[in-house]
Amino acid sequence: MLAVRNLTTTYGPVVALKNVSLHVGEGEIVCLIGANGAGKSTLMLSIMGVVKPRSGEILFEGEPIQKKDPPEVVARGISLVPEGRQIFYPLSVEENLELGAYQRLKREPKEAIRHDLEHVYELFPRLKERRKQLAGTLSGGEQQMLAIGRAFMAKPKLLMLDEPSLGLAPRLVDTILEAIVALNREGLTILLVEQNARKALSLAHRGYVLETGKIVLQGKTADLLADEDVRRAYLGRDYRQFTD
Amino acid sequence: MEMDNRVEFLSEEGWRQWHLELLQSTLNRVYERVPFYRKLMDEKGLRPEDITSLEDLRRLPFTTREHLEENYPYDLFAVPLRDIVRLHTFPGISAPIVKGFTARDLLAIRRLTARFLTTCGVTSEDIVQICLDPGMSIWIEELKEGAEALGALVIPPDPQSTSHRLRIMRDFRTSVLITTPSYALYLAEMMVEEGFTPRSLRLAVLVGEGLETSTRLRLEKQLGIDTRLGYGITEAIGPGMGYECEERKGYHLAADYFLPEIIDPETGEPLPPGQKGELVITTLAVKANPLIRFRTGDLTHFLEGNCRCGRTTPRIGQIEGQIDGRVSVRGIKISLRYIEALLKEAYGHVPLYLLRIKRSRFLEKLELWLAINEQLFEPSILGLHRLAEIFEQKFEETFGLPCRVKLVEEDHLREVAKGQRILFD
Repeated sequence: MLAVRNLTTTYGPVVALKNVSLHVGEGEIVCLIGANGAGKSTLMLSIMGVVKPRSGEILFEGEPIQKKDPPEVVARGISLVPEGRQIFYPLSVEENLELGAYQRLKREPKEAIRHDLEHVYELFPRLKERRKQLAGTLSGGEQQMLAIGRAFMAKPKLLMLDEPSLGLAPRLVDTILEAIVALNREGLTILLVEQNARKALSLAHRGYVLETGKIVLQGKTADLLADEDVRRAYLGRDYRQFTD
Repeated sequence: MEMDNRVEFLSEEGWRQWHLELLQSTLNRVYERVPFYRKLMDEKGLRPEDITSLEDLRRLPFTTREHLEENYPYDLFAVPLRDIVRLHTFPGISAPIVKGFTARDLLAIRRLTARFLTTCGVTSEDIVQICLDPGMSIWIEELKEGAEALGALVIPPDPQSTSHRLRIMRDFRTSVLITTPSYALYLAEMMVEEGFTPRSLRLAVLVGEGLETSTRLRLEKQLGIDTRLGYGITEAIGPGMGYECEERKGYHLAADYFLPEIIDPETGEPLPPGQKGELVITTLAVKANPLIRFRTGDLTHFLEGNCRCGRTTPRIGQIEGQIDGRVSVRGIKISLRYIEALLKEAYGHVPLYLLRIKRSRFLEKLELWLAINEQLFEPSILGLHRLAEIFEQKFEETFGLPCRVKLVEEDHLREVAKGQRILFD
């Protein structure tokens, strides 16, 4: 569904991604693990068109999208749940969700959007309880649910999530991750960036390890969980980079 | 065990993406971690990020068996030694060749071997008897583990006489025999001699060497079984690198584990399908000892077109021989360079020699003819025997195979050899 080839993204003189190639197949959950500053978020922003890559290809359903702007990327079926949630605090929960469907408002009948809204409420009953409440008054976990719900309202084929468990209590982390698995079971393809490597690897099908802007390892998650380097660098205590 | 059979049916585009990703991450690791490869790449002015397509593969330098020896003991590992959980050793001339495996590597190889056996038709219901020479100990180990992973009952080749092996085959109702083609033919003949019909036997998985179609059909008819061929190089990955599907039209290569190329052994240039050349492989799923463009020494060709079984993995034809100066006997590869080194060790010099490969009752036997000269002479028969024994012992120690030495007159040797150093009888 998504194929990235030789993607290089720079911020001025700083090379954030170096020749990155990866793919996400339809119906898969693929996770991307790596330390802070490895380039995980840059990769997602490059796919969304927020950051323009310096070179390389991004193919979505066979079409190159590396030169497209974010609205067109969203229209083609990719949604991003950004790090830090980025919801609209002064708006209500429901308004936030409706904004997620902004591009669909003119094109699709109201019922279709309404139907998806109900689906988000089914997935996160807490949001339904608080639909009239201002988003700024929600707890961290609820805000994350809202961010995911809002991304879902764009009716994506591929949902990308950047650190969805960041700063959440362990119990809420499980709720969020379970929701991701549930969305995947319904057929949504997912690319997940997660600091919590153990959790990410336990729910994804495949994974890539990104280190200083380069992919150094990939495979099925069972293999990555058994991999000595992954265990040392991301699952154990004695943190070390592969290339140290 | 979860198998990755789906990958064998990837589209051409899917394969390109898969290969590019794995090649790039392998190079990223190897360049950082293996000084030998870093140096080779630096000499060519190449960095991992210069490899942006599969066509760039040919810009990378080759790795040879000599490199593996020169970098003994530690210099080819891409992981810290403490991550290595198994170490295999192979004969080398100046130094042994070693190959390490991480726990993940072992898992991957077991999965590959299990896929190979499954494709051959082995299931958890089978009783698998392995009959291979001790020189193929690594094959034995990996085939055993692969078959065990499938849940089959495995009978490894513990030292037994042939008639006892047949008896075990009968009493334990062996259904699958894993052996070399020549040993299978030998067993078939022994069965006739002993008046034994292997009723339970249904399949022979033949590894280590190729087999002519006519001989194959005869063997199948004689034993009333199906046969499948498998190909592998233990220094590189192991058994299961190539295997026949139900169509039995060449070996499907496990392209999810390595990138195969066929090159002109003289120029190093890639050859198109159909043309015979040397198989070169780049490992994609190996952590401990990755190999970049490793020259296998095996001569073969790519088969054109897709297989009717639907697998989209590249296929090669039979191994048509070895590059100059190497020979494969009963699945064990022997180079003349190595024989010369052993001769030098045994006699202080390399006399004129001829390696003869003879067949007796289907089993290949090795005979090394040496031209008698002043340094290589003993007045008594006993002395000559002792002289021969020095080399014979060294050879068997190294390869796990016997090789008889015969001292002959130089003129006679030249006459028989006609300029060759290897002669198949």
